[in-house]
Order: sequence, then structure tokens, then C-alpha cells
Amino acid sequence: MMRKFYLIIAGLLISLAVRAAPNPEIIVVCYPGGSVNAKDASEAMNSMLRVVERVGQWQANSFNSLFTTKSDECRKQMAGKKPKFAINSLGLYLELRNQHNLVPLVQPRIKGRTSERYRVMVRKGKYKSLDELKGKTLGGTALEEPLFIGRIVFAGKYDPAGFFVLKPSNQAIRALRSLDKGELDAVILNEQQFAGLGSLHLGTPLEAVFTSEEIPLMGVVANSATTTAEERARFSKALEGMCADAEGKKLCDVFGVESFASVDTAVFEPMVKLWIEGE
Amino acid sequence: MLAFLSGCASLQHDQVQSDLLFECPKQTADMLVAGQNQLGPLSDTHTLACALNVLRDTQDPAVRRTALGSRICLHLAEREASQEKREKLAAEGVRFAETALAQGGNGAVHYYLAANLGLAVREHITLAVENLGRLESEMKQALALSPDIDDGGPLRLLGALYLKAPAWPNGIGDIDKALELLEKAVKEHPGHPLNHLFYAQALWEEGEEDALAQVKSEFARGERLLDEGNWGYNKASWKKEFDKFRQEFEEAGSVSHSPLASGLR
Repeated sequence: MMRKFYLIIAGLLISLAVRAAPNPEIIVVCYPGGSVNAKDASEAMNSMLRVVERVGQWQANSFNSLFTTKSDECRKQMAGKKPKFAINSLGLYLELRNQHNLVPLVQPRIKGRTSERYRVMVRKGKYKSLDELKGKTLGGTALEEPLFIGRIVFAGKYDPAGFFVLKPSNQAIRALRSLDKGELDAVILNEQQFAGLGSLHLGTPLEAVFTSEEIPLMGVVANSATTTAEERARFSKALEGMCADAEGKKLCDVFGVESFASVDTAVFEPMVKLWIEGE
Repeated sequence: MLAFLSGCASLQHDQVQSDLLFECPKQTADMLVAGQNQLGPLSDTHTLACALNVLRDTQDPAVRRTALGSRICLHLAEREASQEKREKLAAEGVRFAETALAQGGNGAVHYYLAANLGLAVREHITLAVENLGRLESEMKQALALSPDIDDGGPLRLLGALYLKAPAWPNGIGDIDKALELLEKAVKEHPGHPLNHLFYAQALWEEGEEDALAQVKSEFARGERLLDEGNWGYNKASWKKEFDKFRQEFEEAGSVSHSPLASGLR
């Protein structure tokens, strides 16, 4: 879910350099663990930005972006560019929220939901519980953010780096093939990856030995110190109107996002609490 | 992009009217088919435009079932600077191939259909996503029927598709499949520059640090083939592909402060 959301939201905000407005607003787009080529993503998603600019009645090319799949690079760009708006993973939002006065603006709604669960998958019958995986190898794209996995997904009950031997990957399908061949003991999947398992033809059936609580999908955030309430409301409204727009809907359909919903900040409070407890 | 923004999510339907149709040689479709091996990247644009004009008018089933019309469209499209004209030519190449397949066709027709379709949709996100399945299917059929055409073209195109398409679970992108196909392309058809470039790109995308030397050597080998070979009108556009990858490679090296920045020089 998170990947799907990042792709569409990145597309909303990424623009090509060509014909950029004189001082385009820089949007930092962070997609930790993603296998997306930043240049390809920018080119592919450019059309979405033009739609949201039109829906929000901004001048064309009012926004430009910096895209990264690396958490360290994201931290650097957030500090250096001090963007008014950004697209962060939930983990990066929780980590950077105080430093950059971040407030969530919108969430995607996918298959009627604005939250997801993570699952640790093993070959069926091989392990019965997460505790049996102590010292074993764990793969997956989500491991680009081990603090998020430990504090939020495992709710502080397991420290991934200490409990498992971590084998991060930027392609979930590779990690799953390694699991299938017995080269990995377990793989952690987000909701979208879990839902896609049926399309793979793995030799061994898999099962989940751990399923997280519901975790809210993260979306666009704003720096509350450098944006006005009016700016934030305008940005939110444009995103909320994206999938209702005739042209925007086609793009939303491509990525399976039904709509963008304004954030009820209360849904993030338990996440903030878990994060603080893990610090 | 304009087509997308105007809500037109389909291939272009009208033909490019060439202004190069002066003094075309008197030739028939049969003559073109008989001499089709002479029509390719080394042919000048006037010759190809004249040939296309003849093929547009023919109703001869024996001619229409060949890949020639689609192939000429691809050559013209690849050297066309205007995006609109390029996409119209590529879309016409798709239509030529569809007609050919309806009358029997062969692996080459599947190959040129896929190549033209890719060129026609690549700048349009919704069109590209909508056509991923068809692209894969046509390339697979080309690979099964005519794997060696165009110096391993089906291997090269299908490998590049798996490399560039959104990865699972969002799409059909698959780095393992890309590496397998492109490695096979360079082994079985080592003389084509793009086989080496795409293989270098796949190795780079894989992100394994120990493959860095191989990325460099494949890139260098492909670039040398391009520089030393007679690739006709393809040379300029392929050179741009090499330069784009060099730039991307160096920018990535610069961002990560790794020694990659000097990697492809």
C-alpha cells in the first residue's frame, strides 16, 4: 500500500525541469526502500503534477521535486531544502516531525482503507512464531527503515537489528524468491506486497507468523512553521480533488488509489506514542 | 503528454504526411519486399519515406503480411525529433503489424509491433501502463518465433521492459528476468551496442557493489561498438542513450559520495 501510495503521491508532486516556473516550490519526496529509478519516476509522474496544479489552480510548473529512495538522502534534503511540503514514509515523518514541524495533510484511500498491516512471512510449517526466528535472516524492502519496523510494526517488542540478521532488499520479489529457495528464513511485507502474493508462482506455500496492528498510511506532510493554514488547506483540497477530476481519475486508477482523504491527526497519535517510547 | 491532458488515452490515428516525397523512385510494393534488406538504418530518410508511401497504398496480401511496413515506420520514428510525429509514425507501425498478423504474420511482425508500441506509449503514463501486458505478450511471441532478429532484439526489448516497468507488485518489472534476458543477449549477440548498454543498466539497477566493474566494462564495450560500427541513422539516438546513462550513473555517484562519479569515463 505504501509503495502504491508513494508512487501516486510522488507523481502528484514531481515535475520535470523543463518549463519550470521561475521559483518552483521544492517538494522532497522520500520513498525508502523503493525500487523506483528516480529519473524514471520523475518523468513518468510528471503528468500527475500538472493535474494537481490545475485542480488547485496553481500556475503550471509551480512545483518541482527532489526524489530519493534512501533514508539518509531524505534526511539531508529535508534539512537542506527545508521544504514547505514533503512526502515522507511514516517512519521518516515520526523521526523528523519535531525537527521540521511536520504535520500530516492527506492520506490515500486504497480499497476503502487508509491503513495497512505488515506481515512476517515464512515457508509454511517452518516456523510457528516470531520468537522462533531469533537469529534468523529477515529480508524485505521495509528494512530500509529498521527503527520504524522495531518501534511501530513490532510495537517496540522486537529490535530488528538485534533480533534478526537483516537482509534488506530494494525488490520484494527478490526477497520472496530467496525465501522460496530457503536462502532467507523470513520476509516482511507491507499490505500491498502481501495482497500481491497470489500473482507469484512460488514453489512453497507461505504463511504469516506475525501480523501487525493497523498502521495508518502516510501521505503528504507540511512544515507548519513555514506554511500558513490557508496554504495547507489549499494543498489538501487540491489533493482531495485529484481523483474526482476526469483526467486525475485515470492516474489514480493506474495506481489503485480511490481518493485522498484529509487527515484525522488522532490516527497518528498512537504512532507518535510508540515512537517516543522507543527512543 | 498533451494527448493525455486532453483525455485522449489512445494511440495516434492519423498519418505523418512527409514532405520528402519529391522525386521518389518508381517502385512497387513487390519491388520493395524483394529488396527489403536494403531498407534499414543505413537508408536515408527520403528513401524510407518514399517506401512507406508505396506500402500505405498497397492491398497485396503477400506484402501486407510482412513486417516491412512496421519496420520502416520504426526506423522513421526513431530518427524523428518531433514527439508528435514520432508517435504517429510508431502508431502507424503498430497498425501495419496488426494488419500483418491478421494475415498470418511471423515473429518479426510481433517484434516490430512491440518496438513501435513501446515508442508510441513511452511518454504517456496511463497509455504505457495500459499496454504493459500487450508489450510483454508481443515480445514473448517475438522471442519464441524469431529470437535472433535484429541482433537479439526480442531478448533486448523484453529485458529492457522488465528492467524499466514498475516492479512487482505494482507491475511486471522484474530485475531477475531482466538480468537473465540481457545477459543472454550479450552472450548470443555480442556485436550490438544496446545489448551491452541495457545489460550494464540492469547490473547497475541491481545495485550490487561487486558488479560495478562489470557495469563499467559492459558500458565501455557497448560504447566502443557504437563508436566503431556503421550504425547509420541509429547512431545518434543510441549515443544519446549512452550519454543519458553515463549522466545518471555519475549523478548517482555524486549523490552518494561514492567513487562512481568517475566510473564511466
